[in-house]
Amino acid sequence: MDRFAELVIASVLLAGLYATMAYGLGLIYGVLRIVNLNHGGMIMAGAYAGWYLHSEYGIDPYLSLLPVAAVSFLLGIAMYRGLVHRLPRGAAGGVQSLLLLFGVWLVMRNVAYLLFTGNDQTLRTSYSTRAAVLAGALVSVNRVAVFAVALATLIILHILLTRTYLGKAIRAVAQNPDSCTLVGIRVERIYALTFGLGTALAAIAGLLGATLFPFNPSFGAGELLKSFVVVVLGGLGSVAGTAIAALILAAVEVFAILFIPAYLTAAVGFVLLVLVLVLRPGGLFGQRVLG
Amino acid sequence: MLEVRAIDAAYGDVQVLAGLSLEVREKEIVTLLGSNGAGKTTTLRCVTGLLAPRKGEVLFRGQPLSKVAASDRAGLGIALVPEARELWPQLTVRENLELGAYDKRARGRAAQNLDRVQVMFPRLLERRSQVAGSLSGGEQQMCAIGRALMSEPSLLLLDEPSLGLAPIVVEQMFEAIRALHASGMTILLVEQNLAAALEIATRGYVIETGQVKLSGTAAELRSDPKIRAAYLGL
Repeated sequence: MDRFAELVIASVLLAGLYATMAYGLGLIYGVLRIVNLNHGGMIMAGAYAGWYLHSEYGIDPYLSLLPVAAVSFLLGIAMYRGLVHRLPRGAAGGVQSLLLLFGVWLVMRNVAYLLFTGNDQTLRTSYSTRAAVLAGALVSVNRVAVFAVALATLIILHILLTRTYLGKAIRAVAQNPDSCTLVGIRVERIYALTFGLGTALAAIAGLLGATLFPFNPSFGAGELLKSFVVVVLGGLGSVAGTAIAALILAAVEVFAILFIPAYLTAAVGFVLLVLVLVLRPGGLFGQRVLG
Repeated sequence: MLEVRAIDAAYGDVQVLAGLSLEVREKEIVTLLGSNGAGKTTTLRCVTGLLAPRKGEVLFRGQPLSKVAASDRAGLGIALVPEARELWPQLTVRENLELGAYDKRARGRAAQNLDRVQVMFPRLLERRSQVAGSLSGGEQQMCAIGRALMSEPSLLLLDEPSLGLAPIVVEQMFEAIRALHASGMTILLVEQNLAAALEIATRGYVIETGQVKLSGTAAELRSDPKIRAAYLGL
């Protein structure tokens, strides 16, 4: 029973990270209809940013969250205005945007190799190995902190999207941009802001991930694929759908270690993805765009 | 108030408007008539800025609009109720209406205007928490008109507000348009329901293949033999 409780808690804690990671990808796709392949690159960049600030200046990773998110937000806006904005819109821009953003990812990855070499790095803090007893199970304090930050991020996003004029405008642009222009919404501005938000979320997820796992410049590739799984499972834009999908993926991965060798657990997510695509191509909760 | 001067407009290689001119004066209801593909919707797209004319000029209160971004035209007082309503289907009725007041000019009075719209269309109040995509055609039309009114327009453009609606709902729509006009709003109405449009309009234009073929007061157009034969089936 203890073992079971431990795995349930581990699933929930991991799901927070997965949801934050996936939400940025889903938000950008939902509003701009662009698959941001550089999502992986930004996850990696977030990890290195947190690690660098900690190892060079001794800044706690949780303190660097806000500045890293802010800088990534601006970087995302710059990427939108400088690159993505120039692509053709809609289906015609699909292939170009994949190539472009994949290219950006490759550049970022190689810059990281150049700056930090390909060695695995770890972000170790004084509390990295501390554990506490939660519901009868031994839980890492850091994992709880990651979960708390992820949860707070998602709640803030949910409030932003449902309670503010800006958030409503973001959801409206996803559904019908021309009508937005008619009521005075500057659609290009919303696209830029959304790209910035999605990019910031990737960096936050990367930074949180760095406190849990060792990473190198290729970090982010597996995370991008997991994000895909969550987006496809949970549908676009609904914070609740994303959270449930993230929980499913995390639980499947965590519980898989009971049945298959640990090195195969990462593949479980993809089996799940294939099953969903075959059985419920619209996602588990049907097709909703930022509803 | 609105002056369209000899505009040409095209989608890619397909020219839709060829030297179209028209004028809407303060407090008028002007109706734009013509068959499918004549260029009525395209004319409205040029006024709202969703499409830039290739030639010619659109003026609003004497100001040329070519330099005014489409997203700034709501702030000038131009609002469009688009042909297929074009609501945000997964936002609630309330959110659809609220976003109508997105422009800063009207945002401060959003609460007041929301009340006014819901008094005008009580159905929207009943349905306020429902997503717009789940409304009936008539309710969607009310929501689209309500959204346009939320920006406090001085010029309201209506694109086929009766399209696809049951006759009783069509009647309500025309009643609402009449009431808006009585409250002092200037209206440009695109309609296929000629008889009904000419009944409430002050003047009208008949357009064919992107040009004005005929214009005059509503009474003149109603009695024009060509119109009676071609459109009214008399």
